[in-house]
Amino acid sequence: MDLDTDVPMEDVEEHQLRQSGQPAGADASAASRPFSGKKQDLSLTSVNQLDQWIDKLSKCEPLSEADVKRLCDMAIDVLQFEENVQPVQVPVTICGDVHGQFHDLIELFKIGGPCPDTNYLFMGDYVDRGYYSVETVSYLVCMKVRYPNRITILRGNHESRQITQVYGFYDECLRKYGSATVWKLFTDLFDYFPITALVDNKVFCLHGGLSPMIETIDQVRELNRIQEVPHEGPMCDLLWSDPDDRGGWGISPRGAGFTFGQDISEQFNHTNDLSLIARAHQLVMEGFSWSHQESVVTIFSAPNYCYRCGNQAAIMEVDEQHNRQFLQYDPSVRPGEPTVTRKTPDYFL
Amino acid sequence: MLSPLEKIDKAIRATDLDALACRHSANQANYITPQDPFIEPLILSYKSNLQYCSGYTNLSAGRTLRSVFGERKLPLINRGTYLRTKLIDQVTEEFIKQFDVCQILSLGGGSDTRGFRFLEKFERVIYHEIDFPESTKIKKVAILRNEKLKSIVESQGESVDITSKEQFQQLSPNLHTKRYHLQSYDLRKLSSGLTSEDVIPLLKHFDSSLPTLVLSECVLCYASPSENEEIIKFWKHQCRGLVSFLIYEPMSLNDSFGATMTKNLLQRGINLQTFNELPDLNSRLVFLSDICGLSHIKLTNMSDVGGYVIYSSSKKPWIEVSDMKRINKLEFIDEVEEIKLLFEHYCLCYAESSPGDITFEGVNEVRWESDDWS
Repeated sequence: MDLDTDVPMEDVEEHQLRQSGQPAGADASAASRPFSGKKQDLSLTSVNQLDQWIDKLSKCEPLSEADVKRLCDMAIDVLQFEENVQPVQVPVTICGDVHGQFHDLIELFKIGGPCPDTNYLFMGDYVDRGYYSVETVSYLVCMKVRYPNRITILRGNHESRQITQVYGFYDECLRKYGSATVWKLFTDLFDYFPITALVDNKVFCLHGGLSPMIETIDQVRELNRIQEVPHEGPMCDLLWSDPDDRGGWGISPRGAGFTFGQDISEQFNHTNDLSLIARAHQLVMEGFSWSHQESVVTIFSAPNYCYRCGNQAAIMEVDEQHNRQFLQYDPSVRPGEPTVTRKTPDYFL
Repeated sequence: MLSPLEKIDKAIRATDLDALACRHSANQANYITPQDPFIEPLILSYKSNLQYCSGYTNLSAGRTLRSVFGERKLPLINRGTYLRTKLIDQVTEEFIKQFDVCQILSLGGGSDTRGFRFLEKFERVIYHEIDFPESTKIKKVAILRNEKLKSIVESQGESVDITSKEQFQQLSPNLHTKRYHLQSYDLRKLSSGLTSEDVIPLLKHFDSSLPTLVLSECVLCYASPSENEEIIKFWKHQCRGLVSFLIYEPMSLNDSFGATMTKNLLQRGINLQTFNELPDLNSRLVFLSDICGLSHIKLTNMSDVGGYVIYSSSKKPWIEVSDMKRINKLEFIDEVEEIKLLFEHYCLCYAESSPGDITFEGVNEVRWESDDWS
């Protein structure tokens, strides 16, 4: 059996002991997932380096520009071998938009359990809007490189060059680094992020929603994803579409992607033998929201979105038996961040 | 040092900078067409004179202006700024078109440019603006230093160049010409049992026989409901003919967005007094009709105006479909839920009082959420 390099040896043994009563194969899940042979294992130096960076980032301190460069190079080595439909095993905790709300991301890991003890699947939108996009995306990418089999990070519509120039990540990079280099490094890296994931062949996870040009999951596998998010077409739709109460396909008010009705979701789930489509992308006040008679779930993990919306956040745990449980949480208090200097979000005054 | 009350007033006056920065941003992003040329002179006046306002130093004024004007506004803020400007413009224009010789009374308009635009466009309208003295001084200096504005308000005044706090303090805050009246006054005083002498400055240039439209664009929300009542009743009693009120401001809807907004603004020292006490359209309807004694009340929230709502009614939408398409294309909208959430917490309310049969017909031209209350 292959060893899981994501966890220290004693953890693996303990894990195996604990799981000895499970059906064969269940515990080897993360290690035995299909994996390209080209991927290099992490050297001890890299592990130490990553652990240092994770330490630094946990304190919400950004990495140096040179370190971001090194990190992005390492991340490309991992992400380029992931699939358009990245297979993910249960148990896993599925998360929605984070949007630069770093302290709430740390809260998320407290609620859901620390990584790598808990497996995580993030469905995109790490940057923009919040004040800590740099720290948030650096942290998640570090975790991804450090524990590639324990955490999956998909691409959201905000992981794009165009959107980040309007919604904050670009400006934040300029402010924190004095140049656009770090923005360029990350947006180049975003092109490698997988665009969907398939949890145990049953739960299809993606940022936005369905596309009229995609009927089967195999069609997603055929896309060339290593590019900027296009303005239209199947890849754009997967990152931009929304479920809607109206049936069929509709024009999206966002100006990209489509709206899709219950008939479309049910057909897609039937064709692909799925139990659920899990997606993020939309602000929902309770942190999660069912649509289309539980064939689609929206998960949103940025509490009090933009420090203005007053919403709860949620994550969804899926266990080995495919039971689902939602964990809701409120905004974290931000220690170390003096509230007086924090700019109040804009209102019409 | 400022007293606690002075600090509150400073925070309220500072909201004018927010509004100006938002208008500037919406103007830059091409929402406002044709472009508003009067925003720039107002910004210039703030840049030279904010340092002389109470509670500011040269350094803190510079810091404030950089923070207000330095940051990019989000597309939803540009959109909302455009909608509020456009809507109030529309109603004002209908009013002037119906009555021709009439007056607009803008309460606490600060650096708003609506007066200039309407004085330029309509030759017989009279425009009044009432605000805190520091705010009217900023505006007065902007006018006197700009030939175009001077000619629009028909002022012969000399350009002024302020170079010290003392000089700014000594500057008269008022500017009166034939059709334009910029008057300093703290409207909250109207609720404290004033003598007729106390209100002379307000009424000296006010023609009580003219049809009057009173505008409050995020102004009355900083006063208490009882002050609101007094202010509205004061103007209602001054007018012998039709007086109409158009009020735009936020409301809490008693939800978590509203609670967050209350908290966020308190952090800036801003207490929105009507926000929680008149939390929704219905409470505003009751307030305007039962408490203030006004009629022909019409209300809408801003989400229904431009928050991606699908119109089912046959009534004309607020914003032409073609214009909606135009603004939808100006910037990439990443999200519509947040727009809806923010916009539904803002209302536009119309109400009037008329001793005779005269009523403002033009207000019926557009789509109100509740308009069966006459």
